[in-house]
Amino acid sequence: MDEFNENDIGKLLRLKRHEQPPPGYFDNFIHEFHRRQRDELLREPLWRICLQRAHDFMFRLNVPSLASYPVAAAAMLVCAGIISFKIYQTPQPNNLASVAHQPVTVLNAAAFDDRNDWSLAKPIATRDFSFPLRRNFRQSAHAQRAAATPRYVLDSTPVSYEPAFNF
Amino acid sequence: MDRPRTDEDQPLVARTQAGEAAAFDELVVKYTPRLYGLVYNMTSNHEDTNDLLQDVFAKAYKAIRGFRGKSSFYTWIHSIAVNMTLNFLKKRGRRYNLSLDDMDASVHNDKEFLELTATSSPVREADLGELQRRLNEAMMKLSDEHRAVVTMFHIQGMPHAEISKILRVSEGTVRSRLFYANRQLQNYLEEFRKNPVS
Repeated sequence: MDEFNENDIGKLLRLKRHEQPPPGYFDNFIHEFHRRQRDELLREPLWRICLQRAHDFMFRLNVPSLASYPVAAAAMLVCAGIISFKIYQTPQPNNLASVAHQPVTVLNAAAFDDRNDWSLAKPIATRDFSFPLRRNFRQSAHAQRAAATPRYVLDSTPVSYEPAFNF
Repeated sequence: MDRPRTDEDQPLVARTQAGEAAAFDELVVKYTPRLYGLVYNMTSNHEDTNDLLQDVFAKAYKAIRGFRGKSSFYTWIHSIAVNMTLNFLKKRGRRYNLSLDDMDASVHNDKEFLELTATSSPVREADLGELQRRLNEAMMKLSDEHRAVVTMFHIQGMPHAEISKILRVSEGTVRSRLFYANRQLQNYLEEFRKNPVS
């Protein structure tokens, strides 16, 4: 009696191609597929549908061919980082300390000096107002002299204009 | 077998990627019978096969935008089907129901069926129906991975190279699995031939 060889097994297995689903199964399969897709769509949350629509829209614009999504996301993050850094840039802590200890007169002089143009590096808004704003007379006068244009009108009233006290 | 040499599905794939759902319907209609055979012979259950096939096509539809054509659509969709079926079988465990009642009447016109029943082969000596039942049992005793290879090679008629692409293993691994599976099936059927009542 012969034994089963590989060829016999192959032939027997190939007969299994004739095992078929019930009649009409393949015709109905596509309808069932559509029905399940609709059901799934109804179960999906709104945000996911919107995301999917946005994704479809982007795909039709052929954005993925221009740049891959991870690269685009990374580029956006870098841009956002640079912009936020520029906007919220603050001076170095040691600079701030030195500015805080400078007399106001120096700040003013630096700010209005022709040689030192306005720059983001020395914003007036960063002045530390924690130190007392009171200035003594000498400082005030010095600051006025340094900042203001020369004046040729005397501040005080001439003696001759003072009312005479006749007793 | 009707395997595409070049990716003849590329126009349909491109239309689907452009948002034309009807193009994907054509792909579903084209591949359903073939994938049914693959999944059914791995699960041995019609309902499971139906559910799996629906899931396979749903997954393919969602993922087709990411399909870049590095492999053919044929390989890609078969790969999805095999992987999903293997995952399903791992969860399901061993449960099956197969019978020759599922076999189409056209089997009687099959050349190999006539050969098997006409010649004085060991198949002739045993009842062919019973033999098929035993073969199905033997198939289900194989590991899922071995059964997948046997299904693709013997039943679907795929070459080793195609199977290796679908399973993402080397051709050597495919041949080795096939050899081992054939040997197991042979032993099981031989046992049945010697002790038909067992």
